[in-house]
Amino acid sequence: MFLNLVNWLDDRFGWRAIWEAIFLRKIPHVNWFYTLGSATLFLAILQGVTGILLTLYYVPTPDHAYDSVVYISTQLPAGWFIRGLHHWGASAMVVVTVAHLLRVFFYGAYKYPREATWITGVFLFLIVIGFGFTGYLLPWDQKAYWATTVGTQIAGVAPVVGDWMLRIARGGDELSAVTLARFFGTHIWVLPASLATLVFVHLYLVIRIGITAVPSREEE
Amino acid sequence: MDKPQEGKMGRRDFMKAVIAGVSGLIGAAIGLPAIAYVVGPALQKGTDEWIRLGSVNKVEVNIPTLFKTIIEKQTGWINAEEEFSVYVLTTNGRDFVVMSNICTHLGCRVRWIPDKDGFFCPCHNGVFAKDGNVVSGPPPRPLDRFESKVEDSVLFVKRG
Repeated sequence: MFLNLVNWLDDRFGWRAIWEAIFLRKIPHVNWFYTLGSATLFLAILQGVTGILLTLYYVPTPDHAYDSVVYISTQLPAGWFIRGLHHWGASAMVVVTVAHLLRVFFYGAYKYPREATWITGVFLFLIVIGFGFTGYLLPWDQKAYWATTVGTQIAGVAPVVGDWMLRIARGGDELSAVTLARFFGTHIWVLPASLATLVFVHLYLVIRIGITAVPSREEE
Repeated sequence: MDKPQEGKMGRRDFMKAVIAGVSGLIGAAIGLPAIAYVVGPALQKGTDEWIRLGSVNKVEVNIPTLFKTIIEKQTGWINAEEEFSVYVLTTNGRDFVVMSNICTHLGCRVRWIPDKDGFFCPCHNGVFAKDGNVVSGPPPRPLDRFESKVEDSVLFVKRG
């Protein structure tokens, strides 16, 4: 009965072929460093789920942002847990992404025919950094406010376009309600949409081209 | 690859079971707190305190009188001021009936119109008599009543 349903669905969706292409593909004999990409993907999904949950209560306005964060952490059941996962998951995300990037770099896995996988990966890394930068402001406490003041000021010292970038990042001369709103919008819409799109391309390439073997001195 | 013997679990099936089990645990570890987190505020009950409405002296016999008061209320992260309105009716000047001004149909606010001798709801034309009973329209039951008490000519009400 259950098998019938599964077959009926497979006839229409063809998901079995997709499943096999993703999970039953042939890979070389590799080591644990090759799990870093999957670990990054897992963390990205975890950040997505906890982030969506946080938006149920968080409000991105200067007069209530901090209060809503305190409400999440202290008043809601498991609020401290959801926010804690998102907070620590963010740091873990950066660490694991960098580790993944270093593995690919030191194994020379970015070479032909995997350049496109590498380039999408570099953009994904920049998106992760963007998540960290925009998310840091959202609690709207002293640390968030001054970190973003400093961070946007750093953009401001770039030659020629610096002042222009600083004003665009802040949405004006100084940190304000406009800054908080645009950081929030970037954090929950612009970056996730970009991330999802690029992850899709990245994974497609990983599966289409396959992964590299562990490099060795032997000539094969 | 070694083939599993009859009745024994092979390496592949063992790994499948472990992966499914660990995935289930992770799902539960996030899913269950997430449910509590989402429904949490819905489980909070309102306060059960007496609300001071004001002096009963302004209530004339057989005329529903509107009492308005401001209630401070913590909703989520906002300390909001909410206006709380009730109609008070007395038939003998001693016993007071405190009625909600919320239509029992779909929650719009009703108004007492003295000329027409009834409470009128603007949303779907519900009409109530001065004692709160339904005269016409869609409301399924009379206006709700609150528990009340009078102390030194001051009327208090408990929000149910």
